[in-house]
Amino acid sequence: MKLFSTTDEKQRQYLVIGAGRLGANLANDLSERGEDVVIIDKTKSAFRKLAPSFGGMTITGDATNLSVLTEAQIEKAAVVIVVTDEDNTNIMISQLAKVLFNKKQVISRLYDPERKSVYEDFDIQLIYPAILSVNEITRMLATQKQIGAEIH
Amino acid sequence: MKKHILLVGGYNKVISLSQSLIKKGYEVTAINHHYEHCKKLAEIPKLNVIFGDGTKPFVLEEAQIHTVDIAIALTQKDETNLVICELCKKKFGVEKTVSLIDDPKKINFFYSMGVDSVVSAINAITSIVEQQALINEITTIIPVGQGRISIAEIKIPKMAKTVGKRLQDINLPKEVIIGCILRNEESMVPDGQTKIQSGDELILISSDKKEKAIKELTGA
Repeated sequence: MKLFSTTDEKQRQYLVIGAGRLGANLANDLSERGEDVVIIDKTKSAFRKLAPSFGGMTITGDATNLSVLTEAQIEKAAVVIVVTDEDNTNIMISQLAKVLFNKKQVISRLYDPERKSVYEDFDIQLIYPAILSVNEITRMLATQKQIGAEIH
Repeated sequence: MKKHILLVGGYNKVISLSQSLIKKGYEVTAINHHYEHCKKLAEIPKLNVIFGDGTKPFVLEEAQIHTVDIAIALTQKDETNLVICELCKKKFGVEKTVSLIDDPKKINFFYSMGVDSVVSAINAITSIVEQQALINEITTIIPVGQGRISIAEIKIPKMAKTVGKRLQDINLPKEVIIGCILRNEESMVPDGQTKIQSGDELILISSDKKEKAIKELTGA
């Protein structure tokens, strides 16, 4: 372990917004890999999902509020990951991060693929759990079929 | 063809706004996601009511979004209002979008996201309250140009030291001009030679320092 890290050794800081199952697991994972993580959620009890070994910073507050984002040092973050349980909140926070704070990499999760058009032209990276699951299940079905075909 | 206006969210605001718009001859549709509220709204004659979540594209489609000329987002949540306006604008090409906003710090952000008009109830109310509390002489204030310029109507009291003075002799801040004087039943556009009389009503147009000008004009 290095006790005296030099200042030019830059560590990427991750800002995770929303400590649900996805946000908390992601934060645990990043923290375990030794990354610098800040996580925001509007209810304090959400942080119970974080591992005891979680070494990042937790902030209780509404991330649609600019002062909460500033408190979470959004300007230092290299990546902003927006995974609250509400699509509209995710859309607004991602756009805030992109437009007001000029963040290069913003990743967000959307439940409803129909709202995609709102995100276009903003260069926000999107994950659609529904589409991912559909693809995965289709893939499973296809391999199952293949195996079945081979047996017969 | 009648202009079609869509109101999304809100309840009391929709009741008064829709009635006023219908009276002016617009076709009005309201979307609300409270069933009870929808039932009440449906009692308003000529108002089309759609029950559903206005941030969902298929609900907007049900509200004939392609025929809508102006969409107004009136929910209590900023993020919901933003998404409604963005969907209307980007997905459905609605010409004009108007959004209510709760957090005044996000006004510029909303404009940069393409919302055509952002209305902050907090800003409007605080400025009205402030004016009412601080300045008794003003009878009406109309903000124009997003509140950067205001038009105020003030009455000159009998005791004012400006009574009988020419306008050119009054030390007004340069941000303020007197656009018009209402005297008895007449109105006139003043010049530097015009003398102020007690009981005159002055129309002030100002970009700033309105309070100082009013003090100067009405002070004893």
